[in-house]
Amino acid sequence: MIRIRAPQETAAGLFLVVLAAVVFWQTSDLAVGTVRALGPGMMPRVLATLCGICGIALIVFSLIKDGAALERWSIRGPLFILGAAIVFGLTIRPLGLFVAGIATVILGSFASHDSRFVESVIFGVAMTTFCWLLFKVLLSLPIPVAPWLLGY
Amino acid sequence: MKRTFAAIAVAAATLTGASTSAWAQNYPTRPITMIVPFAAGGPTDVVARIVGESMSKTLGQQIVIENVAGAGGTTGITRGAQAQPDGYTIMMGHMGTHGAAPALYPKLRYDPTKDFAPIGMAAGTPILIVARKDYPAKDLKEFIARLKTEQDKANEAHAGVGSVSFTTCTMFNVMNGIKPTRVPYTGTGPVINDMIGGKVDYACDQIVNLVTQIQGGNIRAYAIATPARSPALPDVPTTKEAGLPDYQVSAWNAVFAPKNTPPAVVAKLNEALVKALDDPGTKKRLLDLGGVLPEGKERTSAWLGEYVAQEVARWTPILKAGGVVAP
Amino acid sequence: MEAFFGNLELGFTTALSLQNIALCFGGCLIGTLVGILPGVGPIATIAILLPLTFQVDPTGALIMLAGIYYGAQYGGSTTAILVNIPGEATSVVTTLDGHQMARNGRAGIALGVAAIGSFFAGTVATMVIAALGVPLTKLALIFGPAEYFSLMIMGLAFAVVLARGSILKAGAVIFVGLLLSTIGTDLQTGDERLTFGMIDLMDGIDFAVLAMGLFGFAEILRNLDNPETRDVVKTKIGRLLPSMQDFKDSALPVLRGTFLGGTLGILPGNGAVLGPFASYTLEKKLAKDPRRFGKGAIEGVAGPEAANNAGAQTAFIPLLTLGIPPNAVMALMVGAMTIHGIIPGPQVMTKTPELFWGMIASMWIGNLMLLIINLPLIGLWVRLLKVPYRLMFPAILLFCCIGIYSINNDAGDVLMTAFFGFAGYAFYKFGFEPAPLLLGFVLGKLMEEKLRQALILSRGDFATFVTSPVSAGLLLVAALVIVVAILPTVRKGREEAFLE
Repeated sequence: MIRIRAPQETAAGLFLVVLAAVVFWQTSDLAVGTVRALGPGMMPRVLATLCGICGIALIVFSLIKDGAALERWSIRGPLFILGAAIVFGLTIRPLGLFVAGIATVILGSFASHDSRFVESVIFGVAMTTFCWLLFKVLLSLPIPVAPWLLGY
Repeated sequence: MKRTFAAIAVAAATLTGASTSAWAQNYPTRPITMIVPFAAGGPTDVVARIVGESMSKTLGQQIVIENVAGAGGTTGITRGAQAQPDGYTIMMGHMGTHGAAPALYPKLRYDPTKDFAPIGMAAGTPILIVARKDYPAKDLKEFIARLKTEQDKANEAHAGVGSVSFTTCTMFNVMNGIKPTRVPYTGTGPVINDMIGGKVDYACDQIVNLVTQIQGGNIRAYAIATPARSPALPDVPTTKEAGLPDYQVSAWNAVFAPKNTPPAVVAKLNEALVKALDDPGTKKRLLDLGGVLPEGKERTSAWLGEYVAQEVARWTPILKAGGVVAP
Repeated sequence: MEAFFGNLELGFTTALSLQNIALCFGGCLIGTLVGILPGVGPIATIAILLPLTFQVDPTGALIMLAGIYYGAQYGGSTTAILVNIPGEATSVVTTLDGHQMARNGRAGIALGVAAIGSFFAGTVATMVIAALGVPLTKLALIFGPAEYFSLMIMGLAFAVVLARGSILKAGAVIFVGLLLSTIGTDLQTGDERLTFGMIDLMDGIDFAVLAMGLFGFAEILRNLDNPETRDVVKTKIGRLLPSMQDFKDSALPVLRGTFLGGTLGILPGNGAVLGPFASYTLEKKLAKDPRRFGKGAIEGVAGPEAANNAGAQTAFIPLLTLGIPPNAVMALMVGAMTIHGIIPGPQVMTKTPELFWGMIASMWIGNLMLLIINLPLIGLWVRLLKVPYRLMFPAILLFCCIGIYSINNDAGDVLMTAFFGFAGYAFYKFGFEPAPLLLGFVLGKLMEEKLRQALILSRGDFATFVTSPVSAGLLLVAALVIVVAILPTVRKGREEAFLE
């Protein structure tokens, strides 16, 4: 009877195998080339093969030896943290630092259970102002501040 | 009914026209962004900073350099082409982005001849043909003759597909019927390193990257691809003198605005650019780089527009003949 | 020898002018600041500050810009230790044990050892540049494509040793890192590789994007998952400065790190990046109890930090003597010099000796200033760790976002970082470590480039890697490192087999 003894290893192995497959699929139209002139497809496919071998080895070992369980994945953290970063990316050019910065801090704060809304609003305004002073005034990086109001 | 409409349209056009010109009168009222489509520190960036500094003084507003590097400079120029045509976003175009790019990138999202309001030529940096110092050829003629017999035994180094050294050397090879082994590097630095170390045979590149190495005798220059010799390297013959008169190429840098930028704004920017080129301090800095500055009609916006069209027409067949696989 | 002292005297007279001291201090201060801010690197800062230097003479300008560069190396380790985010490839190693020390309440000691070790390394490296800069240039020229490829292979062997857990998994993530480095436009043919049609991927992934994703964002996600360990300082903060015992423990690692980092830094192909990894590998192998590594071993901070700073200084050798910039920051220094009408190359030393020697002298002064700036700041940084995590993580998030945006002024980079943040979270759940992945990523591009160049030049003959003695030697070291790393696991495996 085959039993998964190390679920974390199995998952890691599966991930590597899938990655290798994706690379093979995506590079299928690239030339491998010759030893004298390696083509663009050579390196990715060699590496994908090695990844795949490691993946299969991990899966095989996970069936033989006991190991760690796969931890539970939370949704709240990734959703709000990565969501906040995406909102920053989408708003920084059209709306500028003051909108993007405050939105990022407030939205990001939702990722934690013990955040308080009013506190994060105040903190967001304070941090954004601080960043404006730091990045724009002190370091004068070309970051849009509030294009809808100031034009830059 | 139709007539009223037309009248309104005319009135509106006049009004906006009037307000545009009034608005252009006051231009600029805030800092101007100049997109440089290459990493900071490279030859184009240096030219942009020197010229931008001087233009800022004339315009009374700071020109802020924004480096947007990527895909042979086309990433930054794409962004510039799509910017508001209000004169507050301009860009430093280049031989690659406004000459070779259409042949190198079929998926290019701008047309160098149609999507821009040319402002003016800033400075060109001449191209040199260089080889490792112990290459057995005493002048350009011998050098070419030897490369022709060696063909793929010779190693030519370039700084990556789409780079200035790649396109200009493709031209050199195509012109002379040489098919060398082309060794790709990421940037000029490692090319020079391996050339000094004697690992590769020859390359073509901008004078600014090579001048001290040639003066120091670490590498050997066969010719400079300009009509006149460079004051920085008075001993290096021109391609004309050395017997390859058709090889005339320079990595030029010119200022562009997005198309539909008001003509008054273009004129103002051109004026500031010309003034910068006449400023003794700025001029000296550019000449110290080995730069070639535009004179007379080459300084007008109209001339730049024609020049871009010529460059695109010139590079496309060369790069096709060079067997460049477009991505 | 007399000439040497004469040169040093010229250097110090130049560097000790009031204006140059002020510029050096300004540069170090700004450098420290941008080094600490995650994402904002010296490249963006130097580019921004270039116009400001128009007003001063070239020597002063370069003294300031150099100050920003090595100041950022100092600052980068602070962020790596405090919040586990490596701002630069060279501070990846510092996160391993430096951040663990911070978690054990020894943040002050880690920062102190890093600062003092860096100062020592910087001093030695400056003297090496002054005394041996010119002859050492020859070393750079020995390294052709074949030698570089072997050097990269050796670097990857070090990456295996970095791993705390299973060798198989470490190997796998290195391959993933190498794979990520192949994304982008092919150098030789211009083909798009693994870009999934995305324009943002055409030039490959930026190191900072990957590092901020895998370390910065993923670290926040990890901490949110484990509320009990998320506050960096659970226990009382102990000493602020290293004790005598700490100094004793780190003296030899600092010496060895200085040597390794300084030597690798001379290589023009960004060899400096290997210094900290090499040093960490060496310390872990030399340690009586290698299991302490990854749990807050002081040697794992002292050695790599010294290597990092020594490499940052000796990286000026190829720039000053050959005119060849070994990395992006140095390329920017070339730009700064050309703007001021000085074209870097072998003539700089003879044509403008006051610039050459002034800059070298200023590096030593700068290192002293950094020590003076950084030691008092340790108290402040450590106190900053007491900020409750619910406020700390949104602040880190915002700093990372702004920092990433400012690398290329590209909002797409922020979105990509979010993607790698998720990938980093998944990796953590799979039990993969991010540090070897980053090393694979950093070395991958150069490795492929050099492999292809070497094979083109040798017309497809693999013997080129062993006929060169330097290359053969490096490959031998790589093989030894791998064998030494794998042996214990194999032996352990056999023992377990016997037990069953």
